[in-house]
Amino acid sequence: MTLRRGWPDGPDNVSEEMRRALDEAAHRLPDDMSLRRIWANVAVPPEPPRARRSFWFAGGVATATALVVLAGVWLWPHATDLVQAIRTRTFHADTVGARRLTLEGGVEAVIGRSGVMRIDDGAPRVEAGEVRFSVPHRQPGHPFVVRVQEYHVVVVGTRFGIALQDGATLVDVDEGIVEVWDAQHRLARLTPGESWRGPVREAAAETPPPAPQAAPAPAPLPATPPAQSFVVPSAIAHAHHFAKRTVALASPGGAVEDADAAKDPAVAARAALSAGDPGRALQLYRTLAQGTGPAAENAAYEVGKVLNERMGQPASAVAAWRRYRAAYPDGILRVEADVSIIETLAKSGDADGALAEASDFLRRRPDSERRAEIARLAGDLYRARGDCRHAVSMYQLAVGATRPRDAVETAAAHRAECQARLAGEGAR
Amino acid sequence: MNTPGLIRAVQSSTGPHADLELVTRCRRGDSVAWRGLYDRYAPIVHRFLSAFGVPTEEREDACQEVFVAVYRSLARFRGEARLSTWIYRIAARHAGRIARRRRVRGLLSTLLVREPPPPPTPDPSERSERLQILDEMISKLSPKKRLVLVLFEIEGVPIEEVAKIAGCPENTAWSRLHYARAELMAMAKKRVK
Repeated sequence: MTLRRGWPDGPDNVSEEMRRALDEAAHRLPDDMSLRRIWANVAVPPEPPRARRSFWFAGGVATATALVVLAGVWLWPHATDLVQAIRTRTFHADTVGARRLTLEGGVEAVIGRSGVMRIDDGAPRVEAGEVRFSVPHRQPGHPFVVRVQEYHVVVVGTRFGIALQDGATLVDVDEGIVEVWDAQHRLARLTPGESWRGPVREAAAETPPPAPQAAPAPAPLPATPPAQSFVVPSAIAHAHHFAKRTVALASPGGAVEDADAAKDPAVAARAALSAGDPGRALQLYRTLAQGTGPAAENAAYEVGKVLNERMGQPASAVAAWRRYRAAYPDGILRVEADVSIIETLAKSGDADGALAEASDFLRRRPDSERRAEIARLAGDLYRARGDCRHAVSMYQLAVGATRPRDAVETAAAHRAECQARLAGEGAR
Repeated sequence: MNTPGLIRAVQSSTGPHADLELVTRCRRGDSVAWRGLYDRYAPIVHRFLSAFGVPTEEREDACQEVFVAVYRSLARFRGEARLSTWIYRIAARHAGRIARRRRVRGLLSTLLVREPPPPPTPDPSERSERLQILDEMISKLSPKKRLVLVLFEIEGVPIEEVAKIAGCPENTAWSRLHYARAELMAMAKKRVK
C-alpha cells in the first residue's frame, strides 16, 4: 500500500519523525493469533440480528429496574466495607446475606452466605463457604494472591470465585486468567469459563482456623498428587448464567476425566495437554479436524503444533501443517502454518526445504508482517552455508520490511557482516 | 492544511451496493458473508482501537464486542452510509466507552485505594519506540480531538466521513483536527527539547 501524507509538511526533524510515526500507525496490523482468537468468539454470534422497537422499550424498563436495584445496593448502609487498613481480621457474611468488602488495591470481595474470609497480615485467606473476587489489573510482578487450604490462587487482574465445599477447594473464573499453585507447583491455569476442583480433604472441615498472629505456611502436597475429579460445583455453577468448562488436573500419565470435555473436543484436547497427555490431545484434535468450521480449522493447525512441540515429531508436524494448507488455502492460520513449516524445517536441519518454503512465502506475501522474520531466517540459512551473496539479498528484504524491529536490526547487522566478507573475497 | 492527511492509493474495491449486498447476506445468516465481513474489517477495527488508545490487554475483547455489536445491528444498516463508516462509528462508541470506564476506574482508585492503577502496558509486538511515543501523545488528546485525528491521519478516512462518525458538522471536524494536530506537534517538540 502506498501512502501520501499531507501533514505534517515541515522539513524539520520533528515533522519527519511525526510522518514516520503516523505511517507506522497506519500500517499497524494485529497478529494472526489475535484475529484467530477474536474470530473464534464471533464466528457464531450469540443471537440472530433483530431490530424491533419493542426491544427498546423492554430494554429501557430493564435498564431502569437495574439502575433502581443498583442504587439500592449501593446505598445500603452496610453493603460495602472498606478494609484496606485492616491487617488481621476474620470476616463473616452478614446475617442478611452476602457481604461486600473493598480490600487493598481496589480488590472487591463478596463473601457468600456461609463464607468466612480471614485477612492475615494484609493477605486474604478463604476459610469456609464461597468468596468471589474482582481484581483490577495489577502491575506486572505484583499479582494478587488468595490462599485457600494449602493452595495459592494467583491473579493479575480478573473476576473469579473460591469456594470450600465439603472439604474440597473450588475455583472458577469469570474474567482474566487465574493460576492455582500449591507450595511449589502450578496445578492449573484457568481461563474464563473454566473451573478447578481440588481433592477432598476430610479433615479440612474440622481444622481450626489458623492463629491470628501469623500466616501459616501452606503445607506442601505429596510429591505425586492424587488424580482429581472434576465436577462443576453446584454452589458455584448455580450462581452463574453460563455453564462452566472444567480443567482437568490428573496425575502424570493418568486419564483425563472430564464429562464436559467429552462434549467439546477442543476443551478436552487442551485439558489433555495440561494433564501431560499429548497423545490423547492429538487424537482429539485429529477427530475435530475432520469436521468443518473454525473449530476444525484450528484443530487441523493444532495437530501440527502438538506433534512438533509436545511429541518431538517435526517431520509429521510439517506434514500436518501441509495438510492444513491444502484443506484451508486461504485459512486464517495460513500464514502461521507457513511460518511454522519454515521454522520447523530450519530447526530440523532441512535447510533446502526451509529455503524453498521461505522463498515461496516471500514471493506470495509481500505485505506480511512476518516477512522480516522469514527473510532474516533465510539469510541466516544462506550465511550458514557460506553463501553470502544470497544471504545479503535476503537480509536486504528483511531490512526493507521495517518491523519487527529486532528482526530488522539483526538482519542489518548480518547484512553488514556478509557484505564485508564479500568485499574481502573480492579483494583477494 | 485542508487536504486529507493520508490517501490510501489502494482503496477497497467495494462500493455501497457491494456493502449492502454483503450485509444482506449476513442478515440471512450466510456464514461465508459474515466471515468475509470479518476478514475485511477486523484488522481495520483492531488498528483503530490500538490507535485510539485501547490498552493491549483489552484490545481483543473490545474488537470482539465491536463485531458482536455490528452483528446485532446489521438489521439497522440501510446502506445510506458506507459500511466502513458505520463500523467505525460502532468502534468509536466502544472505544469511548472503554476510555470512560478506565477514567472512572482510575478516579475511584485514586479516591478509595492507596495504590494507583497501573499504566496501560505497551504491546510487546509493537517494538517501535516511535509508535509507542505517538500512542502516548495521542492518548493525551481529548477524546473528540483524538477521534478526528486517528480517523483522518491514521485511518485515512475523508473528513466528510470523519464528521459523520464523530456526529458533528464538517467544519467542526476540521477545527478539531487543526487543534489536535497543533497539540500533537507541540507535544512532539516538547519531547525533543
